Amino acid sequence: MLTAALPVEVLPEPDASHAGEVLIELGIILLVLAGLGRLAARIGIPSIPLYLLAGVLMGDGGFIPVSAGEEFLEVGAEIGVVLLLLLLGLEYSPQDLRNGLRSNWVAGLVDGLANAVPGFAVGLMMGWSLTASLLLAGVTYISSSGIIARLLDDFDRVANRETPVLLSLLVMEDIVMAVFLPIMAVLLVGATFVQGAVAAGIALGLVVMAFVVSMKFSEKVSRLVHSHSRELLLLTVLGLTFLVAGLADAVQVSAAVGAFLLGLTLSGQVADDVRSLMPPLRDVFGGLFFVFFGLTIDPRDLVPVLLPALALAIVTALTKIFTGVFAARRNGIGPKGQWRTGLSLIPRGEFSIVIAGLGVAAGAQAQLGPFAAAYVLILAVTGSLLMRFADRIPMPVKLRGQSSWPGSRTTAPPLASAGAPPGAPEVRKPLA
Amino acid sequence: MDIYETPLPGIGVRYEFQSESGDHVGVVVRRDGKRDFALYDREDPDSCKGTVELSEGDASKVAELLGGTNITARLDSLRHMVEGLAIEWIAMPASGGLTDRTIGDGRIRTETSASVVAVIRGDTGIPGPDPDFTLRGGDTVLVMGSTDAVRQATTILTG
Repeated sequence: MLTAALPVEVLPEPDASHAGEVLIELGIILLVLAGLGRLAARIGIPSIPLYLLAGVLMGDGGFIPVSAGEEFLEVGAEIGVVLLLLLLGLEYSPQDLRNGLRSNWVAGLVDGLANAVPGFAVGLMMGWSLTASLLLAGVTYISSSGIIARLLDDFDRVANRETPVLLSLLVMEDIVMAVFLPIMAVLLVGATFVQGAVAAGIALGLVVMAFVVSMKFSEKVSRLVHSHSRELLLLTVLGLTFLVAGLADAVQVSAAVGAFLLGLTLSGQVADDVRSLMPPLRDVFGGLFFVFFGLTIDPRDLVPVLLPALALAIVTALTKIFTGVFAARRNGIGPKGQWRTGLSLIPRGEFSIVIAGLGVAAGAQAQLGPFAAAYVLILAVTGSLLMRFADRIPMPVKLRGQSSWPGSRTTAPPLASAGAPPGAPEVRKPLA
Repeated sequence: MDIYETPLPGIGVRYEFQSESGDHVGVVVRRDGKRDFALYDREDPDSCKGTVELSEGDASKVAELLGGTNITARLDSLRHMVEGLAIEWIAMPASGGLTDRTIGDGRIRTETSASVVAVIRGDTGIPGPDPDFTLRGGDTVLVMGSTDAVRQATTILTG
């Protein structure tokens, strides 16, 4: 099963047990990921593209063959995508989603049109099916909220005035995904029109239900799930997540979508609990997901898609800059802030890979996997570099001409008599 | 001074104000309780010149440093405004006095005309406690009134 290149050969017992082989392979993969993660942190880029690249270089046609662990890796990747989407769904509270929809839907619409259309068009130009082209539209549309949120923190831009604009665009993209993913899942099954319509109805019903549950019953759900024991909480949340994801898969809505909708449903206390508990687990299995996605790609398949992916990356980087500048200007942000908003929207990452993964799993288009991998590799790396050096990259002259003071703000009306932050105790002990 | 509040989806809430000296100052209160304290750039008002990340503990210490003196100063000015007004913080003894009895039992208001304005127990402040509020050893009681009244109230409270 294993070729001569693997260290397994060196082991004294030539026919090591299957469990042993699986563990050895997993150990090697996780160590490679750990090394790459360190490298990414050192050079200041996100780890996702490196994980992807590692996957591409392993497996068929790659340098490190993986065989024994493939079954586990497949399950692990499925768990990874489920946890990734659960936490993506959890990222924003129902309140955030409502505010996002209300205040920035115009910018959201521009974001959608400007960034999905190029992907869709390129898909059609390459002769892909309508469904595969739609998937590519999703890949190019969705910015990586994971990468962007992390980098905002790293570059100390959380308090910046343009940040709420940036985040509200990401919130809109999240909402769009809640509708887009179930519909794609149904289209991918390749059902007849009537079946498709019924399944799409079910999917949209689930989305609406998820929103209603999160708005009206979040307290109750929180009380049911919450526990002071980390162990019980973890078991409950994981059990619930896998159950919902599995059921969603069973009704052809895809496990990833089920987990995403569950994430949208959970809010309040239980959401905080899950956010503090799950990230390490997500990082391990999420890493496996990116590797597994890379594994399904033969590096030789990357070559023919590299140029179109690069062209599409350049076009959709420009359209994201346009989107960011447009949205920031509408919110009265100065030219430098507009420029930063635009450059910060460029990174694509986990969501794009998840969307492509849906298509790959359903066998929608053989080139979709390599194309999306190349596209995300390019934009995750250059996007985060552009974001980092946003203040040093010269702005186009058009932007520079404007006055530097924001005319209006994205702020709420001033708080009445706001002397102290809400919740601050009104009486304090004197210092001496 | 106006404080502007802006929600930051997925992160928390940002508060922002302009100091009297003209600097724009922002505080981001994160969902996990951490705070970012930011000073905006005068050249590029949308970005920050620098930010300081504070843990919940750091934040309450800074708040104490900034606000604590503020409160004593305010109490002092109150004292200046009302001649003869006394404000006293009284620590309750482990036993005796009004410890383990209600404020109403002491009849402080009726007998001395001083008022129990607040009680501090552990880290929590209880403003305007009811007459049936039971005092415990270790509580700190804030009493206000004329100098004489406060002295009498102290005797009732501590025994």
